[in-house]
Amino acid sequence: MHLLPFVQWLNETPWSVFLRENDWTFALIETVHILGLGLSVGTILWVDFRLVGLTMTRYSASEVINQIEPWAIKGFIVMFVSGLLLLFAEPEKCYTRTSFRLKALLLILAGFNILYFNKRVRSTLREHDQDVILPWRAQAVGYLSMGLWLGIIICGRWMAYF
Amino acid sequence: MSFQNLLLPPSFFQWCEATFIGHWIKYSRWDFAILETMHIIGITLLIGSTLVVDLRLLGVGNRTLSTKQLSDELEPWTRVALGFTIATGVPMFLSEAVRMGLNGPFLFKMILLIFALLIHFTIRRRAIRPGMEDGILFGRVVACLSLISWLSVALAGRAIAFFMTLNGSSPG
Repeated sequence: MHLLPFVQWLNETPWSVFLRENDWTFALIETVHILGLGLSVGTILWVDFRLVGLTMTRYSASEVINQIEPWAIKGFIVMFVSGLLLLFAEPEKCYTRTSFRLKALLLILAGFNILYFNKRVRSTLREHDQDVILPWRAQAVGYLSMGLWLGIIICGRWMAYF
Repeated sequence: MSFQNLLLPPSFFQWCEATFIGHWIKYSRWDFAILETMHIIGITLLIGSTLVVDLRLLGVGNRTLSTKQLSDELEPWTRVALGFTIATGVPMFLSEAVRMGLNGPFLFKMILLIFALLIHFTIRRRAIRPGMEDGILFGRVVACLSLISWLSVALAGRAIAFFMTLNGSSPG
C-alpha cells in the first residue's frame, strides 16, 4: 500500500491548503483539539482511576463508569472530529512524522482496550462493584488506558519536532 | 497591553530570564517542550476534575454520589493538578520572561487565572457544602462560572503562542 502519492495529492487539495494556511482555521481547530482533552481524557481518567482502585472506591464501579461514559463519549467525538480535520489540514506532515504514526498506533491500541473492556470485562464488574480491588483484568484495562492516553498526548505534542 | 507596558519594568523580566532556572530552560534544547507537555497533562487533569463536579452542580453529571461526596473524591486531584500545572508554568515563564512581559494574552491569562482561583476557592466551595439542594440556581451559576473561568485561562494560554507568531517571533 503506497500511500505517499495519495497523501501528497491530499495535501494540495484546496481545502487542505485552506485549513493549513489560514491563520484562524488551523489555530481554532487545534485549540478545540487541545481543550477537548479535558472532556475526553479528563473524564475517562476517572473510569481508569476507579478500575485501578485509586478514587471513588467506596462507590459502585459500574455506576461510576456508566455515569462518566456519556461525557467521555462526547469528549472523544470532539477529539475525533477536530483530529480528523487537523490530519486533513496537514496530511503529508502527519504521514511522514514518526510521532504521528506512533500516536495513530497508540490510538488504535486504546480503541482495542475500550472494546476489550466492553466485551469481556464490564459485565464481570457487577459482582465486584463494591470492591476496592477489582479483578485483575479490570485493573489492567485501567493501567493500559492511562498509559496509552499519556503516550498519545505526549506524541501529539512532539509532532512539532519528530 | 501587557505586563511590561502596564505594571512592571523591563528589568524585572530580564532578571527573571537571568535566574538559574530561566537560563537553564532557555538554552536547553528540549526542556521547554518537556515542561509544556507536562503542563498540558496538568491542564487535562485540572479540567477533568473540575468538570465532573461542575456537571454535577449543573444537575447533569454523576448521580450516585452527592456533590459533596464527588468533590471530596476529586478536589485532591484538582489541587495536585493545579500544583503541577503552576509548577511547570513558572519555569516556562522564567525562560521566556522578556517576551512574556510584552505578551498581551499572557497578561490576560494571569488575570483570568486569579479569577478562576478566586471563584474556585470561594463561591464554588459554598455551592458544594453539604445541605445544599441539588440543582439550585446558585450551584448552576457557580458551575458555569467555574467552567468558563478555567476555559478562558486555557484559551488565553493557547493565544500566547498565537500572539507571538502573529508578531513574527516563533514560540519556544
